[in-house]
Amino acid sequence: MFFHIVLERKIQLHPRYFGPHLRDKLVAKLMKEVEGTCSGRHGFVVAITGVEDIGKGLIREGTGFVTFPVKYQCVVFRPFKGEILEAVVTMVNKMGFFAEAGPVQIFVSNHLIPDDMEYQAGDMPNYTTSDGSVKIQKDCEVRLKIMGTRVDATEIFCIGTIKDDFLGVISDPSAAS
Amino acid sequence: MSGEEEENAAELKIGDEFLKAKCLMNCEVALILDHKYEQLQQMSDDAANQVSQVFEKSLQYVKRFSRYKNPDSVRQVREVLSRYQLAEFELCVLGNLCPETPDEAIAMVPSMKTKGRIDDDEQIEKMLQDLSLIKKFE
Repeated sequence: MFFHIVLERKIQLHPRYFGPHLRDKLVAKLMKEVEGTCSGRHGFVVAITGVEDIGKGLIREGTGFVTFPVKYQCVVFRPFKGEILEAVVTMVNKMGFFAEAGPVQIFVSNHLIPDDMEYQAGDMPNYTTSDGSVKIQKDCEVRLKIMGTRVDATEIFCIGTIKDDFLGVISDPSAAS
Repeated sequence: MSGEEEENAAELKIGDEFLKAKCLMNCEVALILDHKYEQLQQMSDDAANQVSQVFEKSLQYVKRFSRYKNPDSVRQVREVLSRYQLAEFELCVLGNLCPETPDEAIAMVPSMKTKGRIDDDEQIEKMLQDLSLIKKFE
């Protein structure tokens, strides 16, 4: 789920930037340091939308660098266990399939795919129902529920299921008109 | 890993910070990211190289999964859903998934029925009808 939140970070600036464009340099450094990063608490920082406040700079002893506390607004993507969302299938194999929802990768194991769907190997590996009416393959859109999340240094990884009611392939191609 | 109190979006257990935060529907995020991308394009020719992969993937994702495209409809959707006693998170899940029946809506947002906030299916039915009207006239 996407959120618009306020975060704070201490940004260090070299004295060479202490001039008329100090604020611009500070904001540019903030963007470079923060956009695209990921934390367990807030999820992925997708984009910074504004700077709310820049506090007084503190000169660091010995180096001459100055640290500014910056409060900024940003859009983050944070998946939650139990959340239901839509994703694009990126890879299918006999263990299950991988899907992507924005920056987050989700794995749906074959144990959490309905029993009436079977894996078919081939050029375009897929899971299909016995009557062929529903097919899950690369690039199709599915609705899934997140069962768990794992955070490592640079990204969040999720496990999902499509076994519950109203989950599975989004079969209405005109839905996102 | 978080989890002193077990995280579970189905019961709206997403932590105080996110319960109180402003939640965004995919269509709203699409407008924000599009705007930001245009700003970057105006400032430099090389906008595509300046944005992170996270930004690119998110932009592609929200554009693909936005149910409503124009800013007025997006605003109306939020307005319609805000009339019901829903938490921000619940509101956005409904706006993103656009369930067609009350049963589906309750399956998508099980927490809706707790604490007697939305008691009967008729209310949900009305909400879904209002949403589909906005889509029809988009």
